[in-house]
Amino acid sequence: MANEIQHVRLRGLSHVFTDGREPLPVLDDLSIDVPRGQFTSIIGPSGCGKSTLLRIVCGLLEPSAGTVLIDGAGPQDAQRSHDIGIVFQEPALLPWRTVAGNVRLPLEIDGERRRNTDAESLLDLVDLSEFRDYFPHQLSGGMRQRVAIARALAVDPTLLLMDEPFGALDEITRAAMRYELLHIWASQAEAAARKTVLFVTHSITEAIVMSDRIVVINGRPGRVVADVAVELPRPRTQEIERSAPFLDYADHLRGLLAGAAA
Amino acid sequence: MNERLRSVLRDVVTYVLPPAIAFAVVIGGWEAYVAWRDVSILVVPAPTDVWERFAEDPGYFWEQGGWTLYEATLGLIFGTAVAIALAIVMAHSRPVERGLLPLAIAMKVTPLVAIGPVLIVIFGFGTTPKIFLAALLCFFPMLVNALLGFRDVDPGALEFMRSLRASPWSIFWKLRAPSSLPYVLSALRITYPLALVGAVIAEWFTGNRGLGFVVYSAAQNLRTPELFSAIAVLALIGVAINIALSLLERRVLFWHESVRSTR
Repeated sequence: MANEIQHVRLRGLSHVFTDGREPLPVLDDLSIDVPRGQFTSIIGPSGCGKSTLLRIVCGLLEPSAGTVLIDGAGPQDAQRSHDIGIVFQEPALLPWRTVAGNVRLPLEIDGERRRNTDAESLLDLVDLSEFRDYFPHQLSGGMRQRVAIARALAVDPTLLLMDEPFGALDEITRAAMRYELLHIWASQAEAAARKTVLFVTHSITEAIVMSDRIVVINGRPGRVVADVAVELPRPRTQEIERSAPFLDYADHLRGLLAGAAA
Repeated sequence: MNERLRSVLRDVVTYVLPPAIAFAVVIGGWEAYVAWRDVSILVVPAPTDVWERFAEDPGYFWEQGGWTLYEATLGLIFGTAVAIALAIVMAHSRPVERGLLPLAIAMKVTPLVAIGPVLIVIFGFGTTPKIFLAALLCFFPMLVNALLGFRDVDPGALEFMRSLRASPWSIFWKLRAPSSLPYVLSALRITYPLALVGAVIAEWFTGNRGLGFVVYSAAQNLRTPELFSAIAVLALIGVAINIALSLLERRVLFWHESVRSTR
């Protein structure tokens, strides 16, 4: 299973919410393949179904049509084997647990335990070792989100799903967190064995800085309007945001998002 | 040290002094009114008369209060246990909730103390009718609050656990149960005093001990100072319960906004 190149295959995904008064179509016929180890951003304006897409990929939501394959199996299997790590916009930590306790939570949930991660090294990774015995309410927003990232990594998933993980942070923290996440992602393994990341965002800068590839979704219901490969060298640092290729990508994406919205 | 002493003094002035003054005014006004209108001791005794009766034999009142507290506490434990057990089932099954909630609401809108006289027929004179009535009064508020608490979980945390295929069992113990603690503890502040009401009323009808029995027999025999002493002890027990529960809340809910914001 590990040799298959496409880690995530989405085929003809459509979704319609039917719990409202009128059926609300949010996704229309999306097909995306994500190769193993790729950092893919999904960008689009609010309301285009990005978050819905992510919830479908991780099996929290059953799509109205289409299939999701993760390593050739359904998302339920991936859940069972603890192959998925999720980070939401809100850290959603358990307030009665310490930082270390929150990171340990996934390890206390029964699942296929074939990997060995310990909370201590994860806390090191997100640079929170000194705060291991603090409670979430004693931390800043950025620190809480780092705890959430460590928690998602605790089961050592092969697929990391992030739903606007920095969306609730202030601009300064947010800018720093991008590079921090890239650092965490790169330091986890050699390029070939890196985690596959699906990163939902509505920030153009964020998408370019982080990704190997950007899938642009737009419209209601959301459709794939473009698929852009980002060929900027890694490791990336803040300087990249002033480089000419970066600005070209930004212009290009701005055009795609504006054009599709009109 | 001087600084500390000053902050303690400031706390006393801000938090203890105002209620102490209010209390003194009420008691003083009561005493003055009784003296002024020359109210009969058989109708309303002056606070000093009440104190005199209490001081005559404080051990008696404490002992009777102990019985009432004991019965109320047992009732509270049973009522709470059944309510929480049922709330757990209802939180996991909508059909069970739909089936039982109307019944529980019917129970709630019935003035349950009205069954007091029947208790003697069903349970006789022992401790059982007191525990039963206390448990019955505790049941509904605890059921509703616990149910709300089990449901009021952080949706992100719930989805995170679901994405790892956590069993309902581990979602319950790691997420729902701790999330419900603020609800359960605030329900206890309502149900513990209700348990006291239940125990006292059951003692009226079926008792030979406890403060409810003291109140009842004192009223029958026009021993009003004794009656008021018993009521004062009941009030003290209620206040003590409230203080104990808020201390417990501060310890257990250190992570919750309600506790953090008062620091």
